[in-house]
Amino acid sequence: MPSPVLCVTGLSKSYGHGNIFSGISFVVEKGATLGLFGLSGSGKSTLGRCIVRLEQPTAGVVTMLGYDLFSLGSKKLRELRPSFQMIFQHPEISLNPSMTLAESVAEPLMVHKELKQDEALNYIRSLISKVGLRDEHLARYPHQLSGGEVQRAVLARIFSLKPKLVVADEPTSMLDVSVQAQVLRLMQDLQKETGVSYVFISHDPDVMSVMCDHVLWIDDGTGVLFDRSEFVDRVRTQSR
Amino acid sequence: MTLLEVQDLNVHFPTGEGTVHASRNISFRLQPGEVLGLVGETGSGKSVIGQAIIRLLPSSAQVSGHIYFSGQDLTGLSESSIHALRGCSISLIPQNPSGALNPVMMNGQQIAEIFETQGTQRKTAVETSWELLAAVGLVPAERIAREYPHQLSGGMRQRLTTSIAIARGSTKLIIADEPTKGLDYHARETTARLLREISTEKHAALLLITHDLYLAEHICDRIAVLYAGEIVEIGYAEQIFSKPIHPYTQALMKAIPKNGLVPLAGQSPSLMALPEGCAFMDRCERQTEKCHQEHPLMTQENIDGGVRCHHPYCA
Repeated sequence: MPSPVLCVTGLSKSYGHGNIFSGISFVVEKGATLGLFGLSGSGKSTLGRCIVRLEQPTAGVVTMLGYDLFSLGSKKLRELRPSFQMIFQHPEISLNPSMTLAESVAEPLMVHKELKQDEALNYIRSLISKVGLRDEHLARYPHQLSGGEVQRAVLARIFSLKPKLVVADEPTSMLDVSVQAQVLRLMQDLQKETGVSYVFISHDPDVMSVMCDHVLWIDDGTGVLFDRSEFVDRVRTQSR
Repeated sequence: MTLLEVQDLNVHFPTGEGTVHASRNISFRLQPGEVLGLVGETGSGKSVIGQAIIRLLPSSAQVSGHIYFSGQDLTGLSESSIHALRGCSISLIPQNPSGALNPVMMNGQQIAEIFETQGTQRKTAVETSWELLAAVGLVPAERIAREYPHQLSGGMRQRLTTSIAIARGSTKLIIADEPTKGLDYHARETTARLLREISTEKHAALLLITHDLYLAEHICDRIAVLYAGEIVEIGYAEQIFSKPIHPYTQALMKAIPKNGLVPLAGQSPSLMALPEGCAFMDRCERQTEKCHQEHPLMTQENIDGGVRCHHPYCA
């Protein structure tokens, strides 16, 4: 059996005033989606940031694609970075406001593969049309586009690197219902096509149950793992 | 007697690049104690309607039509007369509570100042503020009154703006603008319950402006669905959710995660360049030649319900 894409063991994070979470463990297999669910302030975003090494946990081990993420040297980390990516909650501040969408979408390949901008755009032409961006979008700046359009550009940017794991932190909580459906469906299609694994962070139980095979419910700093149907049942009993 | 009647309200914003037709041909009625949801996506013109009623639109806005509140036309009132209604018979719970509260004023004082400006003794005003905080579930009220907005969670801040809106107790109409934006599911449920309780207890009508369909389904008696600045369907909440007849409403319902998460292709037309015919036709599977040529009118046979479509999914 192949080793999992992501393995988190005994992860803890505390700031000066106490524990955010402690002893969190879970595994994400290839092509699977794990949800991190909890109320505002439950630490789910911090946990997501620890998984991609944007933040240093206080204790615990993150094994990403077989490597111990927090003992990697900077050179190896840089080599591995393209394979684990993050989508942030606020599309409007996820992209550099002074770059056109074309520049933003091409940037990762220019950095990691040392391509020129037009080479990079050519290389991901089919991806760009798959996420529904047209030339008229690419010429514009983030503030001239809707949240859904920017979030689709973010997906093109991330998937140009062919990631193995994407941490999506509330990718649609700022979007309208019909746009949310567009973005989530696109994420599902990309998963089917590329076999990417997702760690999907959300506080919306309905979105969770559509997107995730398993859900880690974070409450009071600890996590409990549910499969989809257990999760749906638990939400139903709680909302009474 | 009808509490609020909006008749053919149009709001336009002239800009350097052209006129933005934010809200068009808006007509609806609201009975005392009724909860009406104005549901629509970003840019559908729903917030503008709330602001037009309470007359808080920027001065650049061009407004036409009539807004009758208890029989009085608000559009013709002088600034001082409308000022007397604001926060008294008509209350607005503003969008984005973090931005609406004074960050350097203690929570209790934000309520107490309402009474102090009316000449109430400080001690009485402070005690009343405690009662109001407790009434919206902000307890222990005396402690929370001495804290500042940044010390509250998003849900608690929403409760605080709600208690400010109803502080004077004479509210007949509450306009709540996106009260659940940015809240998690737990805070969303408690906010929904609070709004429903207030409207029942005070027998105040609630105009709920939201893109949160969950909230709308749970607390509204009737719902008006907006698309590109117009009401495209209006009816009883149950009916809108179980048997929508406008193609847009149907698509919107199908996009809800638990109803299948079916994406609606394309996007709303620009409010500066609206088509001559139906605004939804480019995204509609039922479009015909007629939709391109003729702007659909709202059906009139039923006072509480109607649809703006040449080919609705109806009986």
